[in-house]
Amino acid sequence: MAGRGKLIAVIGDEDTCTGFLLGGIGELNKNRKPNFLVVEKDTSITEIEETFKSFLSRNDIGIILINQFVAEMIRHAIDAHMQSIPAVLEIPSKEHPYDASKDSILRRAKGMFSAEDFR
Amino acid sequence: MGLEVDQASLSVDYKLLHFMDQLEDLEKKREKLNTLIEEGWFSISKARYSMGNKQVSTLQYASEMVPLVRVHTKMLDSGEAEFETQREELQVGGGHKGSTVEDIGPQEEGTPSSEGLRRRGHKKQSELKQEESSRHQKEVSQRTTTDHNEHQDPLKWFGILVPQNLKQAQSAFKQVIELSAEIAALQSAVLASRIELQGLMKEKQKSTTTGETEE
Repeated sequence: MAGRGKLIAVIGDEDTCTGFLLGGIGELNKNRKPNFLVVEKDTSITEIEETFKSFLSRNDIGIILINQFVAEMIRHAIDAHMQSIPAVLEIPSKEHPYDASKDSILRRAKGMFSAEDFR
Repeated sequence: MGLEVDQASLSVDYKLLHFMDQLEDLEKKREKLNTLIEEGWFSISKARYSMGNKQVSTLQYASEMVPLVRVHTKMLDSGEAEFETQREELQVGGGHKGSTVEDIGPQEEGTPSSEGLRRRGHKKQSELKQEESSRHQKEVSQRTTTDHNEHQDPLKWFGILVPQNLKQAQSAFKQVIELSAEIAALQSAVLASRIELQGLMKEKQKSTTTGETEE
C-alpha cells in the first residue's frame, strides 16, 4: 500500500475515547492538535461542532467515530456532510444505546422509498 | 416497449435485492460492533475498579501520541469508498524503553571504575575532556534513537503492570477499529447503491409513462 494512511478521529465520552486510544488511534500532531475530543458534562455544543467541522476539513482524517448522543447535538452538521471521505460512523455510548432510526446514513438509505425520489 | 419495461423492472429488482443484502450485512456488523464496544467498556470498568477510580481516565493520556493504526482510503469508479486499516507493529517489550535500559546498565557499571583508575593514574586534562565529549556524544545518539522510535503501547500510559482487564479492553477496541473500517466501506456502498437504484427507478418510470402515452 503506497503512501501514509489516514487517521481515525473520535468524538465521545471518556470511556469511548480511552478505549479507542488504547486501540492505538490517538495522535497529537505538530501543532499539538489531537484527533479526539472527550465530551464531558461541561463541553459546549459549539465546541463539539467546531471540532467536528475541523475534523471534516482535515485531509489526514479518514473516519470520524462519534457517539450517537453527541451526534444528536450536532445532527444538522452531520446531515450536511455528504462526502464519502471522511466517513462518519455513529457509535453507541455507555448510557445511550445505538438507535438505527437516528443514524444519518440509515435515514438517508431509508429515504429512497419516499415519494420525493420519484420526482 | 414492453420488453424495455421488463428489462428495467428486472434490473431494479436485482439492484433492490443487492441493496437489501447490503443493509442486512451492515446491521449484522453494527450488532457485532456494539457488542465489542460493550465488552471494551466493561473491561475498562473492571480495570478501573481494580486500579482505582482515577487511574483510568484522561489524566493518564500521554503528552506525545503517535497513531499505531492508519486507514487507507480509495475512491472507486462506482462512487464507493474503500477503507482498509493498517496497524504498525510494536517491538516486543513496548518499544524503545527496554533496549535503552539494557544499553545503559553495563556502561554505568563500567564508568565509575574507569573514572577511579583515571584519577589514580593522573590523566591529562585534554584526555579527560576527550573522554567526556565522547560520552556526551553517546548520550546524544541514544536520545536521538529514542526520538525516532516513539511508538509506545498506549497500555503503558496506565502503568507498567496493568491488569488483564485493560489488555482485554485494548484487544476489544482493536477489533472495533478493524470493524469500523469495514462498516465505513459498507455505509459508502449502501449510499452508492441507493443513488444507483434511484436512477434505475426514474428510468423505469420514464419508460412506463412513455409506453402508456404511445398506447
